Amino acid sequence: MPLISLKDVSKLYGFGDATTVALDEVSLDVEAGEFVAVMGPSGSGKTTLMNMIGLLDRPTHGDYILSKKSVAKLRPNQRAKLRRDRIGFVFQSFNLLPKLNVLDNVALPLMYKGIMPVRRLKRAAAVLERVGLADRQYFMPRALSGGQIQRAAIARALVNDPQIIIADEPTGNLDSTSSLVVMELLSELHRTGNTILMVTHNPELTRYADRVVYMHDGSIVHDQHTPLGEVSPLANKARQLFPRRTEEDDLAGVSAIMETFPQKTETAKKRRKSAAKPKRKTTRKAVTRAKR
Amino acid sequence: MLSGNYKTALSRVRSAKWQSLLTMFGIIVGIVSVITTVSLGEGIKRQVLQQANRLGNDLITVRPGKILSRDKNGAITKVNPALAYGFGTGSLSEQDIAVLHRQKGLKHVSPVSLLSSGPGLDGSQYNEGFTLGTDASFPEVVEQEVEFGGYFTPGEENRQVAVIGKRVAEDLFQENIPIGRTLTIRGQEFIVRGIFKEFGSTTLGQGVDLNKAVFVPRTALNNVAKDATQLVQILVRPEDPKQTAQVMTQVNNALTASHGGQQDITVLRQDENLLVANDMLRLLTTFVTSIAAISLLVGGIGIMNIMLVSVSERTHEIGIRKAIGATNRQIRNQFMAEAVVLSFVGGIVGVVLSYLVNFILRIYTNFQPVITLPVIFAAVGVSLLVGITFGTIPAIKAARKDPIEALRIGG
Repeated sequence: MPLISLKDVSKLYGFGDATTVALDEVSLDVEAGEFVAVMGPSGSGKTTLMNMIGLLDRPTHGDYILSKKSVAKLRPNQRAKLRRDRIGFVFQSFNLLPKLNVLDNVALPLMYKGIMPVRRLKRAAAVLERVGLADRQYFMPRALSGGQIQRAAIARALVNDPQIIIADEPTGNLDSTSSLVVMELLSELHRTGNTILMVTHNPELTRYADRVVYMHDGSIVHDQHTPLGEVSPLANKARQLFPRRTEEDDLAGVSAIMETFPQKTETAKKRRKSAAKPKRKTTRKAVTRAKR
Repeated sequence: MLSGNYKTALSRVRSAKWQSLLTMFGIIVGIVSVITTVSLGEGIKRQVLQQANRLGNDLITVRPGKILSRDKNGAITKVNPALAYGFGTGSLSEQDIAVLHRQKGLKHVSPVSLLSSGPGLDGSQYNEGFTLGTDASFPEVVEQEVEFGGYFTPGEENRQVAVIGKRVAEDLFQENIPIGRTLTIRGQEFIVRGIFKEFGSTTLGQGVDLNKAVFVPRTALNNVAKDATQLVQILVRPEDPKQTAQVMTQVNNALTASHGGQQDITVLRQDENLLVANDMLRLLTTFVTSIAAISLLVGGIGIMNIMLVSVSERTHEIGIRKAIGATNRQIRNQFMAEAVVLSFVGGIVGVVLSYLVNFILRIYTNFQPVITLPVIFAAVGVSLLVGITFGTIPAIKAARKDPIEALRIGG
């Protein structure tokens, strides 16, 4: 039984003609201990998928089974408690509270769990030591470098001993040296048995993952297990196909990306036509998922 | 959990001192006005009680005008505020004094006349003061000692001598013991022969400060200003203090009979002054309390406003907190705590300021306001209540924010 199991999960925004499909009947199983890298162009639904798995969002359709329990229909309070106990978030923009020092920031999830101050600070200090910030406990976040802040954020994600760590572009705002430190840290967590889901735009980082999921237009189009330490061939292909994002691409939006996306199957061609009206579907249309 | 919330909230108040102070201003004003009013009332009540205790309950005051109504048992049912405060005028006359002198069982009958202008000195007039004509038994009847010099004796009722209150000595003569100096009443010279000890503010009635009065023999006063004086009170003491109630009825009946059956005078026991005072205070308290209520309302709205701003400013923070596992209730409690801390600190500042106002009142006025512990608790309680009431809506708003939306909004 997988730790995370999404079954035909869809997420729709808006009503009627203005309906936007963020996730289109996505099914995904993640075993405990996997390090999954999620890739895909902007607007492909990566973050929505992460929010779904992280219990911040609830699916419009479909079911989500987290360690044998369906959590798709839980009430906000129960989801908050699961989030607190089972899931650690690491964000691209770090998201530490600027008015609290590093130690208090890390101890915050424990406060919401109702643990007494002395114990939670002790606990937070221990986790900070683990991420190598033992000497920065009483610094305010603004006094730290980006890499240090991100490590503090990882410490915060770890403080409740979560089963799942969700990292949404954790190195997106970091220079390459800091990125390396942060990735090594995540990698070490993976080695010690944590399940990690990481969104990234950088194909190089897939070398830390043992599975790469490629999303497009609200669907998972590729899902590949890769050996640790190797850049996924899929990611490499993507890198060749999108050498860099130009301003023109940004202006043209998703439809420009559609033109260059590697489409070979029949169903995919159909989708390309429908994608001329990008991201907007008046009716929910069952789309055959691309073959792996 | 809670302590964490309050700690955070306090540090936020501290980090935005001016903003917090302005927000709390309404609460502070409300609390100060409530505490000051109540403490003034309490002070007056205590003075009256003290006075009543000191003078004993056997001092009977006959005042002109029908100030109040009584039921069959003699309890006061209704007070006429127009006549109750200060000196009423009119319906007492020399004839009434004679009637009272004929009554049996009275130890003292001491009439008090008023000339409602201050004495003069070297051509200038003491406008704050007034002149009272009394007989020689007055100090004994009101149990007030003459601190320096002495009061006039029964044989001196025609002599132009004066005993003055403390403030007259200070304000008019600008010395402590101006014995032997002269002041003028209606152009006639009176020689100062004594200075009273300081009077409490309520010896003869509310709002009458006897420290500003000049006491002269009634006969002498009538000689110089017969047409302008008014008989404002007749003080009576019974021979037997236990017979006070009967004597009151007796006095009342005798005077009513001599007035042709019309009830146009009031006979008051000393402790009943308290009730009369209470009635005036109730009016004042209602008035000031309504101002304070409006002020608290405005203060509460100010807090609500600042909390709403705070909630929308900190949307991103709410998103973060929710992402790491805060429940809606925990978010709500956090913002409630902030509103409560704001109003609570406002309440505390209000209490401290009330003590300052109290102090200033004691120095510059004749009032002796007393701040009691229940009042402080009530004030702090009210400020907490305001915080809870007006913090709820913003806190619920914060708690209901969608975490994804909240995280997306800049931060």
